[in-house]
Amino acid sequence: MINNEILFDTIDNGIVILDENLNIIAWNYWLEVRTSVNEKNIINKNICKEFSYINEKKLKRKIKAVLVTKSPAYYNVDPHQYFIQIPTNSIVEKIFKYMQQDVTIVPYDLEKKQVCLYIYDKTSLCKTNFKLEKLNEQLIDLSNKDPMTQAYNRRYFGEVSKKMLSLSIRNKQSLSLVILDIDKFKDINDTYGHSIGDDVIIMLSNTLEQSIRQSDISARFGGEEFVILFNDSDKDDTYKLADEIRQKIENLTVISQNENIQFTVSIGVAQFDEERDKKGIEETIKRADEALYYAKEHGRNQVAKSE
Amino acid sequence: MSDHLTLNEDERDCLQELMNISYGSATAAIAEIIDKFATLSIPNIKTATLDEFKVYLQEKLDHGKSHYVTNQLINGTISGETMFVIDNKSTVNLGSEFDLEEDELVEDELKDVVLEISNIITSTTLSKFSELIDASITFSPPSIKILHSIEEFHEHYANEYSHIIIISTDIKFEDQHINGELLILSKDESILYMKNALNRLLEEF
Repeated sequence: MINNEILFDTIDNGIVILDENLNIIAWNYWLEVRTSVNEKNIINKNICKEFSYINEKKLKRKIKAVLVTKSPAYYNVDPHQYFIQIPTNSIVEKIFKYMQQDVTIVPYDLEKKQVCLYIYDKTSLCKTNFKLEKLNEQLIDLSNKDPMTQAYNRRYFGEVSKKMLSLSIRNKQSLSLVILDIDKFKDINDTYGHSIGDDVIIMLSNTLEQSIRQSDISARFGGEEFVILFNDSDKDDTYKLADEIRQKIENLTVISQNENIQFTVSIGVAQFDEERDKKGIEETIKRADEALYYAKEHGRNQVAKSE
Repeated sequence: MSDHLTLNEDERDCLQELMNISYGSATAAIAEIIDKFATLSIPNIKTATLDEFKVYLQEKLDHGKSHYVTNQLINGTISGETMFVIDNKSTVNLGSEFDLEEDELVEDELKDVVLEISNIITSTTLSKFSELIDASITFSPPSIKILHSIEEFHEHYANEYSHIIIISTDIKFEDQHINGELLILSKDESILYMKNALNRLLEEF
């Protein structure tokens, strides 16, 4: 003969038996130890009154589903995290405040409309998943971003620009881009050293990031060259935005050994044109590059538009 | 595809009829649990190879819209898994059917609603179906993902699913436009069991 009492109080997961009015019929030793609530003090009490954070509407619906379908219902750790708040004890790896739990609700006594909840500790699995997700984010950042400036790299720009292009064609919106290059950057490097040259590039990158909308994207194309893709913006609007950026950069100062260093940029602007840019955004980039060359040739620190 | 694992026209008709009866218990359960009337369309039954299934899923998921996708394993005489696929807009509408308040229409609550509806449909439909063909089954807890494209569906397709029966149905609620599709995928040995059971029923009637 199996002694269910022993199983009930030695099993390594929580067991609660509830009636359809959410009154607690049984509360096992696993829960007593972890919640510091003894079974005798909680029997016949409403679980949502004892633990006010439990969503009553949801629990009632799940119990009803179990009683109607005679099949299990669940509280998944994703999205619920926990059913009963049980603080985690780990000192060295306290990622979660409370034990992460999966809960399975099964019919217990259909006549009396009672159900049984099994609570499983999923904290260590969730910790592993959490770490994997973090590592994955870092990997994505490493492959998409330039390590020095944290700006997006050329590869990522290529990927995103294709998606933005197809979206703007579908929505019949304009899409423009600018290519931007620091004027006489070699002189900065030669005069103040490469470390200051890097500071100039980082400051420029941060300024560009702060000057664009969330729907736009800026990326470091290489060396001292950056590109910005402006969503839903035509050539004339983009020209104005580019000139504002140019002026902002003109007023920046990098400080080196008590010397204030200022720098300027030249910018080329082009708008995607379905007729002319049949091979895609690469052709728009080429036209913006030609405009940039024109701006450089005609005195620098200026914006030029592709015709 | 091996002949012994494909369904002939009679078997397909019989399976469709049994699934129709089974879906009846799902709609009755939904009505009782959330007090809303849902209809499930007549099931569409296809047999597919693993490659054909991948194409089927790609067509379903690749429309630039995000989808909630649940998976639930079925164990027992009929083993395999179910998938419930529902787009973001339908999920928000489903949330309203579950009486979620405006401030509750957030991702975590919506995930729970999708998990619940897919679990109710899966468990009632398949419990009824297994009763009709004299099979015993249990379910594993469902899991959920939000996918924006098929590339995010990083599943390791298992070899035991070399032949797949796709039983798909649309769920619709009377007040709201909600399109969700339930896919029931079964393994090779389950297809054989099902074929034998279907043929027994066909001989009886």
